[in-house]
Amino acid sequence: MNPTVRLRQSTAPRVLCARARAEPARIALRAKRLGLYEERTWRGLAVLVARVANGLAAIGVAKGDRVAIMGDACEEWLVCDLAAQALGAITYGIYPTASMAEVEHQMRDGGAKVFVAENQEYVDKILPLADALPQLASIIVIDTNAMFSYDDVRLTPYAALVDGNARGGAVDDGADDAFLAGLEVRAAALHPDDPAFIVYTSGTTGAPKGALVSHGRHLAGAANMVAHYPLLDEAGLRTVVFLPLCHVLGRDLAITLPLIAGVVPHFGESVEDLATTLHEVAPDFLVLVPRYLQKFAAQVLIGVTNTSPAKRRVHQAAMRVGRRFARARWDRGPVSSPLLSLAYAACRLLSFKPVLSKLGFDRLRLVISGGAALSPETAAFWQILGVNVCEVYGQTEEAGAIITGQRGPFPRPGNVGTLAQGWELKLDPENGEILLKGDHVFDGYWNQPEASAEAWRDGWLATGDVGAWDDAQPGHLKLVDRARDFIVTSGGKTLSPSFIENILRGSPYIGEAMVIGHARKYLTALIEIDADTVADWARANDVSYTGFTSLTAEVRVVDLIGAEIARANTELARVEQIKQFRILPKALDPEEEGEPVTPTRKLKRALMITRFEALVEAMYDDNEERALADAAGATLDA
Amino acid sequence: MPHASGYFRTTYGQDTRLVDTRTQRVAAGAFICALIALPWLANPFVLDLANQTLLAVVGAVALMLLTGFAGQISLGHAGLMAAGAFCTGILSKELGASIWLTLPASAATGALLGVIFGLPSLRLRGLYLAVSTLALHFIVIYLGHEYETRRGFSTGIVIDPPRVFGWELVDGRAWYVVFLIAAGGTVLIALNWLRSRTGRAWRALHGREAVAEALGIHVPLYKLLAFVASSTLTAMLGCLFAYYRGFVSGEAFSLFLSIQYVAMVIIGGMGSIAGAVMGAVFVTLFPYGIEWLVGLVSEALPEMRGLQNAVFAINYAAFGLVMILFLVFEPQGLAGIWRRVQAYFLMWPFKQKPLSGGGK
Repeated sequence: MNPTVRLRQSTAPRVLCARARAEPARIALRAKRLGLYEERTWRGLAVLVARVANGLAAIGVAKGDRVAIMGDACEEWLVCDLAAQALGAITYGIYPTASMAEVEHQMRDGGAKVFVAENQEYVDKILPLADALPQLASIIVIDTNAMFSYDDVRLTPYAALVDGNARGGAVDDGADDAFLAGLEVRAAALHPDDPAFIVYTSGTTGAPKGALVSHGRHLAGAANMVAHYPLLDEAGLRTVVFLPLCHVLGRDLAITLPLIAGVVPHFGESVEDLATTLHEVAPDFLVLVPRYLQKFAAQVLIGVTNTSPAKRRVHQAAMRVGRRFARARWDRGPVSSPLLSLAYAACRLLSFKPVLSKLGFDRLRLVISGGAALSPETAAFWQILGVNVCEVYGQTEEAGAIITGQRGPFPRPGNVGTLAQGWELKLDPENGEILLKGDHVFDGYWNQPEASAEAWRDGWLATGDVGAWDDAQPGHLKLVDRARDFIVTSGGKTLSPSFIENILRGSPYIGEAMVIGHARKYLTALIEIDADTVADWARANDVSYTGFTSLTAEVRVVDLIGAEIARANTELARVEQIKQFRILPKALDPEEEGEPVTPTRKLKRALMITRFEALVEAMYDDNEERALADAAGATLDA
Repeated sequence: MPHASGYFRTTYGQDTRLVDTRTQRVAAGAFICALIALPWLANPFVLDLANQTLLAVVGAVALMLLTGFAGQISLGHAGLMAAGAFCTGILSKELGASIWLTLPASAATGALLGVIFGLPSLRLRGLYLAVSTLALHFIVIYLGHEYETRRGFSTGIVIDPPRVFGWELVDGRAWYVVFLIAAGGTVLIALNWLRSRTGRAWRALHGREAVAEALGIHVPLYKLLAFVASSTLTAMLGCLFAYYRGFVSGEAFSLFLSIQYVAMVIIGGMGSIAGAVMGAVFVTLFPYGIEWLVGLVSEALPEMRGLQNAVFAINYAAFGLVMILFLVFEPQGLAGIWRRVQAYFLMWPFKQKPLSGGGK
C-alpha cells in the first residue's frame, strides 16, 4: 500500500509499537547525558513511552484531555508527547522562550490538565499562574535539579512516572513485554481521525492560534516530506535535534520522521551546546531555520576575515573556484567540465571540508531550511562550500506536511521549489495569494471556529502568503511576502519588505532587519546588530564598548552598518533602497513581556513600529531637506 | 574533544582512547610500521643510533615524569642508571644471574634509591634539591668504583650477553626489538599514569603544593611516588644499557649524562611525554648531526679542515648554544613547536576556534 494512505489510517503510538516489534534492537535515538550519548532502541523507547503513559493515566489523564509541554528539545519531551498521544490526550508545546503572558494565554486557550516542565525554570513560569488555571491538575518536572525547596502538591517528578510510583505506590518493575502489550492495547483504541496535538502559530499579528491536527493526518502529511526527499528513508540517517519541538517542523524532525522514515535524532546535553553536539554527531541531515544558517555563515566569514593572510588567500581562491562551480551546477545540473570539477574537488579538500568539519557539517547530505524565508546569498554560500541546502515552504496549518520544496541536489537559490505530494495549488488571480487544496490540511483552529472559517475561501485554504511562479524554472514557486506585510509607499509603489530584509540580512553584522515605509515617502529600516560578530569586529578594530547598548551607540558601528546598508542598496532598485536606518538599542528578547518578537523570533511588525516609534519618526521627520533632495533627485532622474 | 567531527561517545572507555580519530589511527599505524621496518632497512650504524635513541627515550620519559610533571628537579639520573647497571654487573658476575633476576633486582634497587633520595625532597626545593640529588650520583659512582677496585675489575665489569627464551641477545636487531618494547612500554605506562589519579596528583603538586594538599592529595606520598616511579624505570634502563654494552664502568655514567637527560626534558618540552620522546631523539642524534655538518664543511672548504680535530669542542659549544636558545626562545620546547604546527593545520583555514555555536 502507498505509505501515505497506510499512515493516514494509523497513529504515532501504533507506528511506535509496530517498530518496537519489527526492529526492537535498532537505535531509535541517542541522547547525551553526562558526556555520553545513550542509545535508545525502538523497543526501549516503546517501553519507556508505555511506562510514562501508565504514569500519566495514573494521575488522571484521559482521552481528550490536554497536556502542555514546555522546554527545550530533549528525549523526555518526545516521550511525554507520545505517551499522552497514546492515551488519546491532545498535546501541545509551549515555546521555551515564551513570555509569561504567552504561557498564560496558551494555558487558558488550550486548557491543559497536565503541564510538563523541562526543569525548574519552567516550573517557575507556571507556578505563579497555576492557581488561576482551574483545569491544571499536575505539573510534571523532567529535570528535578534545584527543585528541593518546592513542595507544591501538584508537582510530580518525571522519574516517578517512569517508575510507576507517581502516586506514592511501589516501583512498578513489570516485564517489558507487559508494558509493550499495554501500549499496543492503548494504541489500538485510538482512531486516526482523533485529534493528536495542537500547534500554536507564532502569532505575528495577534494572539497565537492553535492549529488542531489529527493522528493520521499528521503522519500522512509528514510522509509527503519523505516522498519529496527519498533520502530520508535511508536507515540510520543521523540528525541533531535542537529546534523547539512545539514547532511543527521540530515535531516532524524529532518525532514523526524517525517513526515513519530512517532518521535517527540526536539530542545534545543542552540546546546551548549546539556547536559541540553538531561537531560530535556530524549529522547526515538537518532541518534548520534560516537564522542558524545565517549565523553559522557569519561565523565562518568572520573566522576567515580574522585568519592569517596565507590561510585567507587560500580560502578566497577556493571560494572563487567554488562560486564558478556552483554557478555551473545551477545552470546545467551535474557539472560537465572535468577541469572545473577537479578544481572544485581540490578546493573542497583544501578549504571547504576543513571549514565544514569544524561545524560538524562535513557529512551533511541534505539540509532543509524552513520556517522563514532564507536569503539566497546564505543558501548560495553553503552550496559553494558543498552543503546541499534545500528550501521548503510550509505552514503550521499543513499538519506537518510541506507545500513545496526544492528537490535538489544543490538547487538554484531564490525559490521554494516544486509542489509536494498531495497538494493542488493555485495563485489568487487578484493579489497572487497562494491557495491550497489537498489531503494534509489541518482540522481547524482550537477554540476558534470563526478563524477556522476565515482560513477557507471557496474550498481553498488561503495561506496568506503571496507567491509567483519562477520564470526561470517552470514549476518552481517563488514566495514574495506575507499578503498583509506589503508596503505601499506614498508614491504608490508596492514593495515586499521581506525581499529587502533578506538582502540586508546577508550582512554578517546584521542580525535582524525590519523595513518600514508604508504610506511613507521612502523606505527606512530598523536594524538589530548581530552582537557576536559586531563585538568581534569592535575588538579587532579597537572600538571600546561596555555592552550591547554601548556597542549600538558607537559611531564607528553605525558607520559599519551604514556601509553594509549602502552595499545592500547597490543590489536594490531605486524605490527599494533604504534611505535611513536606526540601530535598535537593545537585543530583541521574546521572553520579555510585550517585546515585538514572537518566540520563534519573527517580528511583530505593527508592534515594532509602536514600540520604537521615536526611532521610526526620527528617520522621517528629522531631515526635511533630505526628503526634498530625494524628491528632487527622483524628478531629475525621471 | 576529538580533533575531527563525528566521534560521539557511547561509553566512557571511548573517552580514554589514546588514538581516536581515523587520521590519528592511520598516523599511529604508519608510525608503528615504520618502527618495525627500520631494522631491516638500516645499516648497523643507523641501527645502533636507533637503539641508543630508544634507550634515551626510556630515560627521558622517566625523568619527564619526575621533573616535567611532578616538578621535582633531579641531577641524579646518571647515578640511578649506574645503580641499575652495577646491580646487573654485580649479580651476573657474583651469582651468574640471568636477566630475569637482574632486571627486577635493578628495579628494586632503583625503587629503594628513589625512596632514599626522594626523602630530601620533602624538605628541599629547587637548587637545594638539585644538589642533594647530585649527592646520589657521586655516592653510587663511588660505591661502584669501590666494588670494581676491590674485586679486581678496575677497567670495568664485563657481562655476557643475556639469554631470553633461548635466544642470545647479541644482534643489533634483537636488541632493537627489546628496546622498542621497553620504550613503547615506558611511554604507555607513563601516559596511563598521567591520566590516572597518580598523574593528576603529580600535576597538582607541580602547580602548588599547598593547593594540592588542600585538594586532598597526600603530598609527601605522591612526591616519593614520583621519585620511586622515575628511579625504578631509570634503574631498569641502566640494566638494559649494561647488557647492551656488555660492560659496566663508572666512567660511562658521568655527570654530563645527567645534564643530557635534563636537556632532553627541557628541549623536548616540560610536561609532555611526546616532548620527552622528541627531546631524546634530538639530543641523541645532535652530536652525530654536528659531526656530519663539520664533515660537510671541511669537504667543501679544504682550508677549514682543521675543524675536524675540534669536533668535540664544537659539539659541546653547539649543544650549549641550543640549550640557551631553547630556554630563551622556546621554553615549551619541541613539544611546543609541534603543538603550534599541529594547531596551524587543525584550525585551518581559521586562526582560532571561531565557532562558538549558533546561540539561541
